[in-house]
Parts: sequence; C-alpha cells; structure tokens
Amino acid sequence: MARTDRVVLMVGTRKGGYLLRSDTSRRHWKVGPCIADGSDVYHVTADPRHPGEFYALANNDFWGPMVLRSTDGGDRWREAPTPRLPRRSQRTPGMAEGGESSPARSVRNLWHLTPGPADRPGTLFLGADPHLLFRSDDHGRSWAEVPGLTEHPTRDRWNPGAGGPCVHTILLDPAHPGRLYVGISAAGTFRSDDLGESFRPVNRGVRADFQPDRYPEVGQCVHKIALDPRDPQTIYRQDHCGMYVSRDGMDDGWTDIGRGLPSRFGFGVATAPALPGRAFFLPLDPQSRTTLGDGLQIYQYTDRDHRWRPLIRGNPFPGRHAIHREGLAADRLDPAGIYLGTTTGRIVWSADGGRDWTMLPLQFPAIHSVEAFVEGPNR
Amino acid sequence: MEVHLDRWLAEFGAPQEAEVSARDLAELIGTLEARYPRLQGKMRDETGAMRRFVRVFVNGEVVEGREPSRVLGPDDRVDILHSIAGG
Repeated sequence: MARTDRVVLMVGTRKGGYLLRSDTSRRHWKVGPCIADGSDVYHVTADPRHPGEFYALANNDFWGPMVLRSTDGGDRWREAPTPRLPRRSQRTPGMAEGGESSPARSVRNLWHLTPGPADRPGTLFLGADPHLLFRSDDHGRSWAEVPGLTEHPTRDRWNPGAGGPCVHTILLDPAHPGRLYVGISAAGTFRSDDLGESFRPVNRGVRADFQPDRYPEVGQCVHKIALDPRDPQTIYRQDHCGMYVSRDGMDDGWTDIGRGLPSRFGFGVATAPALPGRAFFLPLDPQSRTTLGDGLQIYQYTDRDHRWRPLIRGNPFPGRHAIHREGLAADRLDPAGIYLGTTTGRIVWSADGGRDWTMLPLQFPAIHSVEAFVEGPNR
Repeated sequence: MEVHLDRWLAEFGAPQEAEVSARDLAELIGTLEARYPRLQGKMRDETGAMRRFVRVFVNGEVVEGREPSRVLGPDDRVDILHSIAGG
C-alpha cells in the first residue's frame, strides 16, 4: 500500500450520510460534513472509475427519494436526476391520439447504487423499492427501468420484506464481463450474463421457511450477498433462513453453512481480498434481531474447512447490538479492514483482519449502511 | 393566482412566491415543476398523489385529502407547506 492512500468509510444513517477518512493505518478517522442532513441515507458509494466521485441515496420523509452526487471527494453534494417511473402513453378506443397516464406505482425508496464496469464509464445501476432496478448509461443524467428484471415472469411470486419490496444488492462479477447478480427482498437472488438484459433466478437450495414450498424457485428473503474478491465464482449469502455459499456462480445452487452458529439469522455479510476463502457474518436473534449473548460477536467462516470462528475476544462491546443489511463491510487493504455500523449509531472496526476491534468514540444516528473505499494516486 | 411555497420547498430552486395560471391543483403542481425542474417529485409522486407530508391551503383553508383535482380560480391564493411531522 502507498502511504498517500486513504481509506474512505461511507456511512448512511437515519439522518444523513457521512464520509470518514483515515490513512491506511485506520487508527484515526476524520468525519466530513453531513450529506442530505435529515434524510434517510440508505447507501453512500464511490465510483472507482472516476476519482473523487461519490453518490448518496437519500429518502426524505417529506420530499421523497433523491440521488446526490459529489465530484470533489465529498465536500459539496448536488442533487442529481432521480430515477422515476415514466408516464406511459395510452390509447383508448375512439381516440385519435394517445394520451399519457401516470404509472400505477411510484419509486418509494432508493436502496443501492453500483457503478458499472470499467469499460462502460457512464453506466450505473440503482436498486429501489418497489422491486425496481434502474440503469443509466450517461453518468446518471437519465435513468431507465431494467425490464429484464422488473418485468421478470416470476414477479408475481415476489413479496416485500420487512424493509419493503427492495432491490438491495447489485454485484458485478469482475472475472466474468457482463455478469451481474442482484438480491431482492423477498424474491431471492437473480443472475444476468448480459449486463442486465435478462435475468434468471438462482436460489436452489435456499430455504424459505415462510413459504408452503420450502425450496421455491423464487421468494426467498435474501438479506445480503458478497463475492469472494479473489474467486468471484464463490459467493456468500446471508438469508432470512440461514447462511449459504455457492462455489460456481450460483449455477448449481447453494450449500447451507450455518451449522455450529448460535443463530442462522442475520443481515450482513462481507468479504475481503486480503482474506480469500473467508466471509464475515453477524448472527442475530431471529425474534429480536439483536446480538445473542452478552455482547457483540462477529464470526469468520473459512470455506476450505467449513469452520466458524468468533473473532472478538473477551466482551469489549457488551449489550445488545443490531445491524441492517448493509451494516457490515470490508476494505481492500492488506491487512483487511472490517467495519460494522450498528442501528444504535456506533461504528466498530478492525484494521488487522479481525484480530483487534475498536469502537469509534462518536455517536451517529442509526446506521443503515457502511462501505469502504481506498482512494489515492496509486488506486 | 398567487402561490406561496415554504422555505424548504424554495430550497429546490423555486421562489417563495410565484404567479401561476392553473385550473386545478394538478395543473398548478405541473406548472411549478416545469418552471422549476428541481421541484419534480418533491410535492407529488409519479402516480400524481401528493406526498404524505405536503399540505395545501386555498385561501387559508386546508385542502382535505389534497385532491389533485381540486378546482382553482384565478383570484385564489394557494399555500404549499410541509406539515408538522417526523422525529
């Protein structure tokens, strides 16, 4: 790593978003100005193709959803065009000209933004509620629904999760151009091999205890998925009904790996390039959706020997904690940084791959999401 | 007619007072959105429904239900405000 590189921790909260910056030691963090103060900020992310560019997805109780964009590293944020469902032309019998009708539904909350591949520098994907995926090919100046997903023939079997009917995860496979995975609550995971033109459900082997058919084609309540950065065919999944791994790009289904944990329920999952073959989970009580036992505990799963290991020694963070689905993340440094943002507004992190953990002595509003990005002249 | 927007709405690039011709509330909102594009989506969603915490008054009387079809006259004064809500 270069000394001039910096880690940016991007935090979305119930009342605004924040960028926290540190040098690569990740010991001390400087907090930037609040983004979209007062709005629910579900996700903040960087566009690695365009240094200094960041996006925040704000959902305001009064004024609705908004995309905000910064092109100066997060100092100033401007409202950017927000995806909206188009008015549709309609033609009724006897009308010489078609009129326009309002859509039957509206975009409610913006959940997750993922920049497109490097060879398409203007492409962005954005997941929203209700069960919507949008794509922009002009740097976010205009958006279009992705019909390959939003008009999927299985859509009538999709349900809302507790957070709403949301497209909350969008992952590009860096090793297979055109491959895209999305996670939808409660519809499950879908894979595209043509950058979103078409999708197929990939949920085989994942339980849906809340359905009459325990292993349906779609309808699972996926909470989060994460690719192994060194081997993106290997994917880890935190579902409502357990933890899973797929080792072939979801082609041949999922293997339940939750045995041995105090609970199979949770929301987040994270992976780090410096720790290939491993994934990090935070098991939660399925009823209260808070941590089990007397304090915070993060578990590392190693796929080679199917082994779970609790990472936090002793009980430095007593009490009950909880995270949302985007509340667990890792950075790309070696040793890996692993980050947790809790619903009580605390950030807990490790800068050494999970050996030592620290809680930031700063109170945030309830945290929806954390994501880490490494910026610098060598990136 | 005379239209008054509250300070928060004016932060989306609109003045707090504007003169608009419209036959009903939907046309009034559409005219404001066309004139001040950052207002698009702030007062109503794509279905045409007014947002939950936006309140409309005509000549000081609240428009119950915030019906977009509420008829307006040229001499009306319309106030569009955010309601007391949240926490």
